Amino acid sequence: MNKIIMDDPMGRDTVLPALAIRNLNFWYGGNHALKDISLDFPVHQVTGMIGPSGCGKSTLLRVLNRMYDLYPGQRATGEVLFDGRNILSPGLDVNVLRSRIGMVFQKPTPFPMSIYDNIAFGVRLHERLSRADMDQRVEGVLRRVALWNEVKDRLNASAAALSGGQQQRLCIARTIATRPEVILLDEPTSALDPISTARIEELLDELKQEFSIAIVTHNLQQAARCADRVAFCYMGELVEVDTADKMFTAPHAKRTQDYITGRFG
Amino acid sequence: MMELPSTITARDGVAMDTNARGRFGDLVFGMLARLAGWFILLVMVGIVIVLVRGGWQAFSAFGPGFITSTAWNPISNHFGAATSIFGTLVTTLIALVFAVPLAFGVAFWLVEMASPALARFIETAVQLLAAVPSIIFGMWGFFIVVPFMAHYIEPVVTHYLGHVPGIGQLFRGAPYGTGLLSGGLILAIMITPFICSVMTDVFVSIPAVLKESAFGLGATRWEVMRQVVLPWSRQAVMGGIMLGTGRALGETMAVTFVIGNSNRMGWSLFAPGNTIASLIALEFPESSAGSLKLSALLALGAILMIISFITLACSRIFLQRGTSS
Repeated sequence: MNKIIMDDPMGRDTVLPALAIRNLNFWYGGNHALKDISLDFPVHQVTGMIGPSGCGKSTLLRVLNRMYDLYPGQRATGEVLFDGRNILSPGLDVNVLRSRIGMVFQKPTPFPMSIYDNIAFGVRLHERLSRADMDQRVEGVLRRVALWNEVKDRLNASAAALSGGQQQRLCIARTIATRPEVILLDEPTSALDPISTARIEELLDELKQEFSIAIVTHNLQQAARCADRVAFCYMGELVEVDTADKMFTAPHAKRTQDYITGRFG
Repeated sequence: MMELPSTITARDGVAMDTNARGRFGDLVFGMLARLAGWFILLVMVGIVIVLVRGGWQAFSAFGPGFITSTAWNPISNHFGAATSIFGTLVTTLIALVFAVPLAFGVAFWLVEMASPALARFIETAVQLLAAVPSIIFGMWGFFIVVPFMAHYIEPVVTHYLGHVPGIGQLFRGAPYGTGLLSGGLILAIMITPFICSVMTDVFVSIPAVLKESAFGLGATRWEVMRQVVLPWSRQAVMGGIMLGTGRALGETMAVTFVIGNSNRMGWSLFAPGNTIASLIALEFPESSAGSLKLSALLALGAILMIISFITLACSRIFLQRGTSS
């Protein structure tokens, strides 16, 4: 599926990244928010991004599906390689890109429609399925996020009636329904209670067998629990990236050490 | 009572004084505000009483037939409201048919596509359009729109649509320029700013993250608007449309200039007609005190007020539900 072979920025193993960022710079108007970032997102792994508020980790996610395109005055330079193409190039069809790189947000964002239609919405944008195929797709993704048994009797009820945790699992189901290769999660559990959070984290572990995942989180324990590799950002720069084990036990940089031991942030 | 140290009592005394003065100001302001509130209610009730009492003579002379009769004959003293109610509803409907898509287009473009600087400029222009006095629209309509309709639009529309079975009869007849269609078009231009600013407000108030979620699935701007933004803001958009409807129903001067002012009721939209408001404006100066005609005009006023009340009530209900959900 992925033909690009790149050197790991740390210079150790050779990996096959789902996404590869090279010398990325990003500006909000005159504000230089991301400085010369190079980072790989390995296939079928969870890459966690940590760092204090305003360090640019969410901005980085929004570059990966070109969400910043919606707002004038925001621009990016450098390369983000995905399936052999630079997704920052102007000729790219962002609507197709976004169906292949899905995103889940901080707060659950069910659309003002039924549970069934919330999932069918994204699918209908890109595929023409028969009613039976669509039913199957909806059931399939709801089973994957362990929501099927809870909602199978009320698929036509409004999605707004679900609990916060259920809504967020619905949003994840909605995202994987378009069959993306990469899923971006922007602090997906920050609005949820601990039990809902645990269920989402379990889900990530399962989903990575099929998808490559990038997750931004404020919660260091969450990064330690879920991520295979962790990247630490600080003031728009990528300070360090390593396996989760090494990152939380023996970080290289002083600033990383200060952050994970709670000296600032 | 417990004895308190003198210093504290003295300080308390000062504090009490300022407080008392503040309370007096509160009392006066409160009374004025209450008076203003009741005054508005008094005016409302007064208008209703005058209209119903003034129109009573006509209501009792013609009975319920007043509403269904198309007569308007001051010589034989026969009056009916049907023609002007018909004209009011038809011109309002025409206005909505043109204004709603136009307002939606402007709002969609302002919110989703225009650059911020340009959007601000256009928004101001839309608000200015809302502030243009209706007499100006009336004169502009009479000198520009009416000849334009008569020479260019109406003959062409008759040529192409006049022979279509069913709707053809709407577009036949002599191209006078003045008529129901011209009245409706002027109204459309007048109510577009109101509908547009409500739409712009609700479209802007949608949580960015909800729209981003839809964009994140690969939806285009139009798909996001149609399937996420519109369902989300449906109630408030309906409220805005009702607000425009209320204004179109009662608009007087601009319509009087271009509608042709004829007490006729027919299928052709090109034919001259009248509305409740235009009929009252034209006939009022020629009605002597105590006459049945004057009473009929006041009765018409009462009917217009009831129609407007219903529309406004609907808009309030829609707007409230829209903001609470």
